[in-house]
Amino acid sequence: MAAAAAAAPTRTEVLALFRSLLRTAKQFSDYNIREYTRRRAADAFRENRALADAPAAAAAFSEGKKQLEVAKRQALVYSLYAPKAKSVMELKVQ
Amino acid sequence: MAAAALRPAILRRIRLSPTPSLALAAAGAGASSHPHALARWLARPMSSHDAHLTREEVVDRVLDVLKSHPKVDPSKVTPEAHFEKDLGLDSLDTVEVVMAIEEEFKLEIPDMEADKIDSLPLAIEYVANHPMAG
Repeated sequence: MAAAAAAAPTRTEVLALFRSLLRTAKQFSDYNIREYTRRRAADAFRENRALADAPAAAAAFSEGKKQLEVAKRQALVYSLYAPKAKSVMELKVQ
Repeated sequence: MAAAALRPAILRRIRLSPTPSLALAAAGAGASSHPHALARWLARPMSSHDAHLTREEVVDRVLDVLKSHPKVDPSKVTPEAHFEKDLGLDSLDTVEVVMAIEEEFKLEIPDMEADKIDSLPLAIEYVANHPMAG
């Protein structure tokens, strides 16, 4: 773990992870969970964007990858219990 | 009655173009007598040619997506704008915007392509040339 954590992730890798998280977020059928996941990903990436040293960036990156796995599993679980009605937030106002 | 009240909202969301919507109404009306009518209608739009988007429509919808992004000043959005230089977005915002465009046109842009899209002209070009954009 410590050996793997030494190298900082590249910009492309980070953006790819962010994109994967957003794509996974879109799979949640429940509006609240979907928006939370999207918001959580965006906030965490913004919070960690200025990480200067390589080990900290690498640690944040591997945490992000773990969270992506969590999100993927949860998307699957939530899909088994999809809400029967849409959230009022998803309806367009006339 | 509740269903009738929701109908306009639903129709707006699913963006049916005039012709298929007539076909749907016909299919819906005939569904009891003709079980395959709906299936036939659903099969039709899969052949892409008649449903192709015009360039103006692509430009309008891409502009709308950008204008509705919370960090974008709608008055700065033009078909020539660059995400970072003109609209003040960062690389994370750009990922979100490109994702919103994917959603609007029901596309999935591969990472390699999505990384290259950093301005409105490129986004419009990509969507306009994509055969599955809807």
